[in-house]
Amino acid sequence: MIKLAQRQSVPWWRTEAADAVRRNSGLIGVLLILALVGVVTRPEQFPTWSNVSTVLTLASAIGVITIGMTFVMIGGGIDLSVGGLVALAGVWCTTLETQSYGPAGMIFCALTVGLGAGLINGILIAYGRLVPFIATLAMLVAARGLAAQISDRRTQIVEVDAINDIAATDVFGIPLLVLILVAVAVLAWILLNRTTFGRRTVAVGGNPEAARLAGINVRFHTVLLYALSGLCCGIAAVMVVAQANAGSSGQGNLYELDAIAAAIIGGTALSGGRGTIVGSLLGVLVFTVITNLFILNNLPTEVQNIIKGAIIVGAVLIQQIRWRDVRLAARRRPGEPPIAEPSPSQPTGDRHDSPHSVTPQISR
Amino acid sequence: MTSLPAHDPAGQAATHVAPLLRLSGIVKTFPGVRALDGVELEVLPGEVHCLLGQNGAGKSTLIKILSGVHQPDAGRLEWDGQQVRFTSPQAAMKAGIATIYQELDLVDGLSVAENIFLGHEPRTLGFVKRGVMRQHARELLGRLGHAEIPVHWEVGRLPAAAKQIVSMARALSRQARLMIMDEPSAVLAHDEVANLFRVIRELTSQQIAVIYISHRLEEIREIGDRVTVLKDGRTSAVGLPARTTPTSELVAKMTGRAIEYVFPPRRSATPATTGTHEQAASATASARQSSGTPKRDVPLLRVVGLSRAGEFHDISFDVSSGEIVGIAGLVGSGRSELLETIYGARRPDTGQVFVEGRRLRPGDVRAAVRAGVGMAPEERKSQALLLDEPVYRNITLATFPRYAAGGFTRSGREITAATTIAHTLQLRPPDVRRITRTLSGGNQQKVVVGRWLVHAGTRLLLLDEPTRGVDVGARAELYQVIRRLADEGMGVLLVSSEVPEVLGLADRVLVMREGRLIHTAAATELDEHAVLDLVMAGSLLEQTEGSPV
Amino acid sequence: MTLHIPSRRRFLGSVALGGAALGLVACTSNETGGDGSENTQVSVGGDNASPGAPVTIGFSAPAADHGWIAAITRNAQAQAELYEEVTFLPVEAGEDVTAQRAALEALIQQEPDVIVVLPHDGAQLTATAQQAMEAGIPVVNLDRIFSSPLAYRLWIGGDNYGMGVAAGHYIGTRLREAGIEDPVIAEITGISNLPLTQERSQGFADALSTYGFRVTNQVSAEFTVDSGQEATANLLQAAPHIDAIWNHDDDQGIGVLAAIEQAGRDEFFMVGGAGSRDMMEHIQAQDSVIEATVTYSPSMASSAISLARLIAQNRGMSDLVELGVPKSITLASETITRDNVEDYLPLGFAS
Repeated sequence: MIKLAQRQSVPWWRTEAADAVRRNSGLIGVLLILALVGVVTRPEQFPTWSNVSTVLTLASAIGVITIGMTFVMIGGGIDLSVGGLVALAGVWCTTLETQSYGPAGMIFCALTVGLGAGLINGILIAYGRLVPFIATLAMLVAARGLAAQISDRRTQIVEVDAINDIAATDVFGIPLLVLILVAVAVLAWILLNRTTFGRRTVAVGGNPEAARLAGINVRFHTVLLYALSGLCCGIAAVMVVAQANAGSSGQGNLYELDAIAAAIIGGTALSGGRGTIVGSLLGVLVFTVITNLFILNNLPTEVQNIIKGAIIVGAVLIQQIRWRDVRLAARRRPGEPPIAEPSPSQPTGDRHDSPHSVTPQISR
Repeated sequence: MTSLPAHDPAGQAATHVAPLLRLSGIVKTFPGVRALDGVELEVLPGEVHCLLGQNGAGKSTLIKILSGVHQPDAGRLEWDGQQVRFTSPQAAMKAGIATIYQELDLVDGLSVAENIFLGHEPRTLGFVKRGVMRQHARELLGRLGHAEIPVHWEVGRLPAAAKQIVSMARALSRQARLMIMDEPSAVLAHDEVANLFRVIRELTSQQIAVIYISHRLEEIREIGDRVTVLKDGRTSAVGLPARTTPTSELVAKMTGRAIEYVFPPRRSATPATTGTHEQAASATASARQSSGTPKRDVPLLRVVGLSRAGEFHDISFDVSSGEIVGIAGLVGSGRSELLETIYGARRPDTGQVFVEGRRLRPGDVRAAVRAGVGMAPEERKSQALLLDEPVYRNITLATFPRYAAGGFTRSGREITAATTIAHTLQLRPPDVRRITRTLSGGNQQKVVVGRWLVHAGTRLLLLDEPTRGVDVGARAELYQVIRRLADEGMGVLLVSSEVPEVLGLADRVLVMREGRLIHTAAATELDEHAVLDLVMAGSLLEQTEGSPV
Repeated sequence: MTLHIPSRRRFLGSVALGGAALGLVACTSNETGGDGSENTQVSVGGDNASPGAPVTIGFSAPAADHGWIAAITRNAQAQAELYEEVTFLPVEAGEDVTAQRAALEALIQQEPDVIVVLPHDGAQLTATAQQAMEAGIPVVNLDRIFSSPLAYRLWIGGDNYGMGVAAGHYIGTRLREAGIEDPVIAEITGISNLPLTQERSQGFADALSTYGFRVTNQVSAEFTVDSGQEATANLLQAAPHIDAIWNHDDDQGIGVLAAIEQAGRDEFFMVGGAGSRDMMEHIQAQDSVIEATVTYSPSMASSAISLARLIAQNRGMSDLVELGVPKSITLASETITRDNVEDYLPLGFAS
């Protein structure tokens, strides 16, 4: 009953959906501008369903990876190994031996390899106390090396039609790969926003010391986060393999940069504690739409890269301004009473004091 | 060099040596608070001038004004006979005032020489003359009697004492004529303090003045020339001779602060008392006697022989349910570390912690939480809160899984519970969906305390400096809350730098000094004088009734 | 699994053998030169296969990131095993120029009779190769050319420009025969900033222009399967109707074909590049849009080993009149179609 009453009292501009739009308005704006450019420059190709579904399909594998990356980054870490894990899982699940187990065996293999490598990342970081940057960089190199070793540097062609069909199947006109991304995203959104796991993730990344002192098992949770990212890489590996009809140790090249960039322009903080699934997906879309636009307009790769760089910077700047606005709005929300007790420490900058120094407001 | 004013009786020196620094009528107001209210200070060249005062007396604000961080609202600041106004730390530094901070503001990754000349490197055409710089650095360290510090080493490799010397060499390199040292001995071992004093004498012999801040009376006796005492933002004594002024007089000048806190009665029978803690204490003396004996055979908390190398040694005590136990002690006396060790955030070298007779697994916070222990750590922002999250999520940070069903959080139930707590704690504003960062310090602290109140199983609260950064009105409320919790059967272990707070709030007081528990007494048996004596000098001077534990 | 690194014992043994062989070569080769050819300027033919003095061949190629490079290393290894007297001494060249430079320097220390090297980057490794030459070790430069002729004894490599020309002629002829005016011709390049990519594109454009055609759509991939798939998926959206595609690289071609299949497009024909077995099989089976591929065959590594052996043994190519091996050999880019694919299949490399 109480719950119901509170639900009703939330005005529309304070609902989660409205908040998501507000927070990502910068990115949504960028996407709209890109779409407008597409419609104007290539009116016959860009706004077609065929093109839209191609863009979404190309966004699907990297989207799944970015979701895993978002969890790790909200938890205060970073996973540089994702590209290597995609290659390793992709190669491992396409060896002749694995292919002989059929599609289920291949998928199981890819997910297990991704999960296992992610677990190793997490254990090294949480219990081996390695810096995430170093541990996952080492994993990136090692996983790619192992992938090359397993495949003998050959491209392993997939003869299992069921796997190749994953990329060729539409369900109600929507590519299966896109549906996989949507499913993963919905699950991830629930996981982040509606479960204790998500709450712990934000706590662990936002203030690890506070989380620890509140009795949260920070290390164990860190392991889970990297395992989750690894699992996402396993899923993405199946998608990449299905799209290419092959597994090779060169797959997933530079995916770590794409995923990190997408998460960051989606508003995920490198310092942890902040980030959204919706934002990260929008970030991925911005990149895939840019690539699509450039190819539709037949522009050379060099120009693409320059403009991509500029858009990363621009989108992050816009995002930052949006965040600042949201914060200010939170500070002085109209229609609410001003804060009752202004703390004297804030305007004077005393919170930068040494922990031992004495705040001046004590006496009198 | 021979007739050092530093070694003259101070009163005489002031007559024929022009003061280096003279402050008069300095006022500094922060929103809602008058931190400094007419401070007088006079420092002569080549003297060690000690600044004494309790926490909150205004020492830090005064230092910040001298070092250009804050500008005074009123009053006169004379430097070398000229009236000046330092608009920035750079301006003060340029004039020749250097502050040696407690957390040394050195760059660990740079070499000793680079640190000394940071920002004013000897250079030609933009190239740093490294040879010259190292040579100068060596000379400066030599002037401080520490030529053995290798100038090419990274500062991060040096021990704290050596870092302090480097910091002073940096001040020398900027031709400082006044060095402000804020509790420099807090980070030093005993023999290192002796060395520090040697260096200070070296400085004063070169006519450099030192403002020395310390709580340790014996240090002031040894190194100081004159003492200025601050109390409640005013100077209660100016230019007392450091060696000869009796301790009782110094302590008297520091104590008797006009405290306006309202401490709640110790048992709900007695009405609230306003005024000094002595009044509060006497008014509730009878109430406490009834609560002095624990109701149960097994104490709520029993600490046995707890030690951690370099932090505290062989600490044993009990806390009963319904009892507030306060720990008094200086910064660096090991009190915060003790609290964190009890909580499992640090692992003890030896010793055990029992909650209701069951031993806690050492170094395991979750075991402590499961056993019903909650802690509000000293550093609210860095240790306790997710500032960008809503209030209710901070309140339920330790308990949100209890409201969840099958791993799915139920924000509605959390909000309801948090709202109840917010109401109990008189959180302002009461909207628990507000972002925590937007709350004032006092209300943030309530959020931290509230975290353990939604947890029905919490039986013992560890509060580390619960009122730091909390303004007067909110303090009284926090005190009420803490007392009410105790009345409802909660055990509370409280650490505070503020002696009146410990005396006014606690039933029983433990005094810690340099990692040891040196005294235990009922709060009524102690007064501010006695605690300050214990804390600063290690023993009771006039009173002898207390016996070490 | 390739075994690039021999066991330590065999490795040490081969160095010792190589050292001994050097002395032997010095005396025996003079004798054979004396009685064998009698100063007549005709080629005797066929005697290159006969065993000669023992030779140690050092070999360095970049760590394979795609099938072509992998095939280079495998071919070199296999060719070396054909000769009883050849000791193959491969060093892993790692991921970049620096790693390969270190590897080469280590190799020079071991004093092989000849070094075959496919550099990461010709210009940046020229000095190191020259160092080997100055130490008296002939260098056979494979594919990516050093910037100074002093740095190699022999260069053998493919013809990137020629590949483009071959592909351009195939496509130009086919389209002209079909009578298509103003055709849509798409090009899927490799890594776009590499000189070899630019040469291929140039050759392609030049050849097409002789037919009055031009490249209408160009996208670049990165020689990898997934990049080929991504670039092609976008390309197919950009051009709703295509007449012909040239894909520079058969490795990425697997991804290109996957994308084409996923899009359900078949109105065009495609020409590949390099000549992988997979593509040849598709050409043979006629089961996809690929009709032809222009070679840039990793078989050049096999030839390089053979020629390195001859250089070390001071022998010439038996079908040529000259006593020594030539200085420079450019392999022609051939066009493999359904008609001749049988012949080429054995040379096809596994992607």
